[in-house]
Amino acid sequence: MATVHLMTQHRPLAGGAAVVEADGATVGQIIDDLDRRFPGLGDALRAGSSAGIDGEIHAEPEFVRVQPDTVVYFVAPLTGG
Amino acid sequence: MSRTHITCTVNGEDTDFLANPGTSLLDALRDELGLTGAKEGCGTGDCGACSVLMDGKVTCACLVFAPEAQGRDLMTVEGLSSADGVDGDHLHPLQQTFLEGAALQCGVCTPGFLVAAKALLDHNPDPTESEIRYALAGNLCRCTGYDKIIRSVQEAAVQLRSAT
Amino acid sequence: MTAIENPKTYKWVGTRPIRHDGYDKVVGKARFAADLNLPGQLHAAYLRSPHAHANIVSIDTSMAEAMPGVKAVVTGDDFPALDITDPNHDVSINVLARGTVLYHGHAIAAVAATTKAEAQAAAAAIEVEYELLPVVLGIDEAMADGAPLANEQNYQKFVGPSDPSNIATHTPLERGDADAAMAAADIVIEREFDCAHVHQGYIEPHACVVDTGADGKANVWASSQGHFMVRAITAAVLGWETSRIKVTPAEIGGGFGGKTTVYLEPVAARLSEKAGRPVKLVMSREEVLRSSGPAPGAKLRIKIGATSDGELTAIDGWMAYQVGAYGDFAGMVGAMSVASYKFPNLKLESWGVLSNTPKTAAYRAPSAPHAAFAIESVIDDIASELGMDPIELRLKNAAVEGDLTAMGMPHPRIGLVECLEALKASDHYQSEPAEGASRGVAVGFWFNIGEQSSATVNLNEDGTATVITGSPDIGGSRASMALMAAEELGIDVYSITPVVADTEAVGFTDVTEGSRATFATGKAVVEACRELKVELCRRAAQTMGVDEAEVEWVDGAAVSPSHGGEPLTLAAITAQAKRTGGPLTATASLNAAGAGPSFAVHCADLKVDEETGQTTIVRYTAVQDAGTAIHPSYVEGQMQGGSVQGIGWALNEEYIFSSDGVLMNPGFLDYRIPVASDLPMIETIIVEVPNPSHPYGVRGVGETGIVPPMATIGNAIKAATGVRMTSLPMSPPKVLKALGDAR
Repeated sequence: MATVHLMTQHRPLAGGAAVVEADGATVGQIIDDLDRRFPGLGDALRAGSSAGIDGEIHAEPEFVRVQPDTVVYFVAPLTGG
Repeated sequence: MSRTHITCTVNGEDTDFLANPGTSLLDALRDELGLTGAKEGCGTGDCGACSVLMDGKVTCACLVFAPEAQGRDLMTVEGLSSADGVDGDHLHPLQQTFLEGAALQCGVCTPGFLVAAKALLDHNPDPTESEIRYALAGNLCRCTGYDKIIRSVQEAAVQLRSAT
Repeated sequence: MTAIENPKTYKWVGTRPIRHDGYDKVVGKARFAADLNLPGQLHAAYLRSPHAHANIVSIDTSMAEAMPGVKAVVTGDDFPALDITDPNHDVSINVLARGTVLYHGHAIAAVAATTKAEAQAAAAAIEVEYELLPVVLGIDEAMADGAPLANEQNYQKFVGPSDPSNIATHTPLERGDADAAMAAADIVIEREFDCAHVHQGYIEPHACVVDTGADGKANVWASSQGHFMVRAITAAVLGWETSRIKVTPAEIGGGFGGKTTVYLEPVAARLSEKAGRPVKLVMSREEVLRSSGPAPGAKLRIKIGATSDGELTAIDGWMAYQVGAYGDFAGMVGAMSVASYKFPNLKLESWGVLSNTPKTAAYRAPSAPHAAFAIESVIDDIASELGMDPIELRLKNAAVEGDLTAMGMPHPRIGLVECLEALKASDHYQSEPAEGASRGVAVGFWFNIGEQSSATVNLNEDGTATVITGSPDIGGSRASMALMAAEELGIDVYSITPVVADTEAVGFTDVTEGSRATFATGKAVVEACRELKVELCRRAAQTMGVDEAEVEWVDGAAVSPSHGGEPLTLAAITAQAKRTGGPLTATASLNAAGAGPSFAVHCADLKVDEETGQTTIVRYTAVQDAGTAIHPSYVEGQMQGGSVQGIGWALNEEYIFSSDGVLMNPGFLDYRIPVASDLPMIETIIVEVPNPSHPYGVRGVGETGIVPPMATIGNAIKAATGVRMTSLPMSPPKVLKALGDAR
């Protein structure tokens, strides 16, 4: 099971939880798994999130493969100037 | 409106061009003579990116009407490598020290700085750091923070003094 | 300047060759967009809104169209209307207003004519009827219940269906229990801060030349930080396929984040299409300041709690960023940028708030400088109250690998502690301030990003190489690409020509922003070089008559223990390329992950003239973690440039708006950026804590330098006068007033 850390603004969609567990071989599958249990969370995560996985931030995390015991941090998208 | 015929010396060569009375010298240099080294950063004489020498004096070309150049001796950055005994096949010491000292990043202010620095060293071959900073206070740079520009001018001053 | 020793040593990486593009720049040959002229080109000029908020009732261009020299006129009606959910909707209505003008200076129409003067005269002859709407200017005003809307098409992001509002974003971040920790703290300091809008101040105004041919294809030369972005947005705004547009990046005269979006190109393209001639469109300095994106203004309220021995236990922060007339993302980043200290308990929220002013754009590290000004000022006051050295307090709480950022992610390997130690050990910090001067320090952080880059490396017949990338060079990155390629291939850096190619000649590359070019494009260059080395060894194996597996690439040549003869140099192999299999070229494309954060610590010694309120900086040092400095001169240049921009932001720069939303200082005389006589030398100390996710350990360095200066200077002013300045800029009149209030 992957351990998933949610952004503060998404926690209400997961019943207030800051950390949840989910299954999936990719971040996209993890999002689908979360959406099954917390309807609406999937759209919210896909609307604007990068994902921090094993210390690296991925701006497009959908197809990033993860380990069974990975820790995923959803964070707001980053830019720069 | 008919255009005025202007004759002058540019970078050591007799030159002539046509311009409307209200055209700036900067636009004339860039559009009529193809000398695009001088840049328009503000059009109001506040940034120095259009600096040229007019009869040896550093001048914002955006503040000069083209007809005012009649009969004058102009130097733009394109003429720097034929100045001070440099033969045109080599760079002027200021250009060389700017490159070696990384005194430019985007480079858009560089022509103005080179011209203004030349004017300074022509009048004051051994300036203090403070004198350099005040002489160049009319040239804005947003990339470098000025540090490497000042050091490069100091180094060029040393080279120019030892060459004479 | 001294660098902390990198664990690795290289032959080319870390040297300081003259940059390849430098010669053209010192002789006046470098071509910036406004230097380009096409035969038959027309000049264009805008009609811009005289009102900060109004509906456009009617536009009559008939007089303009009949004026001498006029060849084409466009308004918003000449462009497709994008749906409000389209990511390019906001930029498309910013490029030319549709139905409503949202800020003073908002472009309404444009004219192409044979001379600029004719275009300007015709633009002024366009008749527009307006219905004035309420102007929303202040943050409090915009956030108040029942406030008029700055933009009736703005909906708060990420909250699902809602009514239009003046809120772009709301970003709450929380961990632990900040309220409880604050109640238990031995010392709590709370302060409010405000920051005026500032502009990136690039010396080259926005400029482009566009030639739309009879075949419907547009050839664009643009001053931009990202020509693929220019192509994408121009296509979207015009309603064209991307393949109809080719964008060539001209040399860019500064960007700093202000040239990461599009203002001119779609308008020039449509004018060119209508007129059948090339169109040159250049902003004046006044247009740049009135109508291009500045950095946001902000209000912040920061409360920090600590124990009596200096452990920072809690931070509670409210930040509101004024992002202009469209729902920009800038308001999100302020809270996200809090990442320098452990802060076990944290409660932050940052808001993006609309106003009838231009849509803000990034200015180096967007929104982080405001947050750092506030937080580093409060931390400094805590150090002062506790009688602790400001560096020691920061060392005690500094984030290290594994500590959580405000966003909740653990830091990878970072170099904040190393930067603090480097400043502590520096000659500057070890020396007393000059007579009459006082000292301040502050810390800054920026994430840095990865994103997409492509690179092609071509080996020429004579053993030289061309390295082709799509990252506009805003700070010397071309030289760094050549240095990394030289290191990989083992050939002289001057045997390599680095090229920034147009959108048809190199693979897709994201904007040069987020300090990504040396990191991500560098990675692509390295990958392409490594692919080439495999192929070079394969070709050498053929020539040597040995097995491929027995050939290695060493110091620019193929060597094999099985081959008794000399190593085969790259030039020897390229000379045989046709015989051994054909051209030697490799391309790499990636979406780079693993961008390493860069920390900075700055120190300023300054004097405050208590009669005039003027601050004079007498000594300034910037310390920053570059990971590995590929070309140290240009790393130093980024650090110095960011520091001086921050000094201007701290001491003098501000947008001054009238109550009607009109910018009162749209020129370099009254929007005064630092000049050489304002400043001392900017000493630099490059720290190298290599980023494990880059083949050379690179961390982006372009942005972090602007984050610490305002607090550095505010802290030094506090040390000099006893007064805590909480409003930017800390200009002479404001310092004088604060000194007077304190007496």
